[in-house]
Amino acid sequence: MNLVDILDRQLIKVPLVATDKVSVIDELIDVLIDAKHLSPQQREGIVDAVRKREALGSTGIGHGVAIPHAKTDAVKQIRLVVGVSRIPIDFDAVDKEPVRIFFLVLAPLGESGPHVETLAAIARTCTSQVFRRLLEQSKSADQVYQLFME
Amino acid sequence: MNVPFHDILVYLDGSESSLTAAMYAITLAKSTEAKLSAVYVVNTRAIGELVKARIFVDAERSEYLTDLEADAERYLRHVVHLGAQKGVVVQPVKLSGTVYSEVRTYVKDNLVDLLVVGGVTEIRSRRDELMSETDRMLRTVPCPVLIVRDDDAIWDNFEQG
Repeated sequence: MNLVDILDRQLIKVPLVATDKVSVIDELIDVLIDAKHLSPQQREGIVDAVRKREALGSTGIGHGVAIPHAKTDAVKQIRLVVGVSRIPIDFDAVDKEPVRIFFLVLAPLGESGPHVETLAAIARTCTSQVFRRLLEQSKSADQVYQLFME
Repeated sequence: MNVPFHDILVYLDGSESSLTAAMYAITLAKSTEAKLSAVYVVNTRAIGELVKARIFVDAERSEYLTDLEADAERYLRHVVHLGAQKGVVVQPVKLSGTVYSEVRTYVKDNLVDLLVVGGVTEIRSRRDELMSETDRMLRTVPCPVLIVRDDDAIWDNFEQG
């Protein structure tokens, strides 16, 4: 499972407009809902699954990155939404630093293997300080997309 | 190297293309009368990375490990069943750890002389190429590798053959 295989230009938003943790998660979810024309019921299922996961502990992993994720039958394939905020957002991250880079990962039930590999690939990619800086400096969805394709 | 092959191993990762590879391997094993094994590696390394990176909390670690174990059993059972349909005995092999190194070690220890894989995608990102478990597997196994392109014709042939 390579990140570029699931990266979808329609599912990248730069900049995000939300200014707090709850609304930034909602904004990322809405990028998916709008782009893929998902129903209100599917939205509800996704919001519920992501919030339940977030209640177990913040997915702000430090260095300005958060990876909210969940398993839900509201999606039929793995979906990755990427968002970059101009404003650093308090996300209760492990290092207490605010977050500007967001990856929302949703996987259908029964696809744990690809789900785990996607999350691990994001984690490995984000270990690069240079990559994080370039992402933060991106001004458009196209720039983010190209960054992943390099 | 043995020609034709005597010990074939097909790598499964749950993807559709790995199932295509399994069908191809079953057909190949039948025509060459080779022994066929199917391997699924529970990627505990990735789980470990996610816990270390604090993406997974402890509850998720257990939950996903259980899920991955169940996936492994399900996919291996499916391929054994596919083999039985064609009169080919498929030996299921479930391993856990780092995918490419587990497969490499298995190939070496069991004198596998052909590894069959699917799911090699077009190289679009240098970064992904460097990180891909499948690419590392292809480059490091000590035996010939057969890459099966995902093709509907293989499914059709398997179902009709």
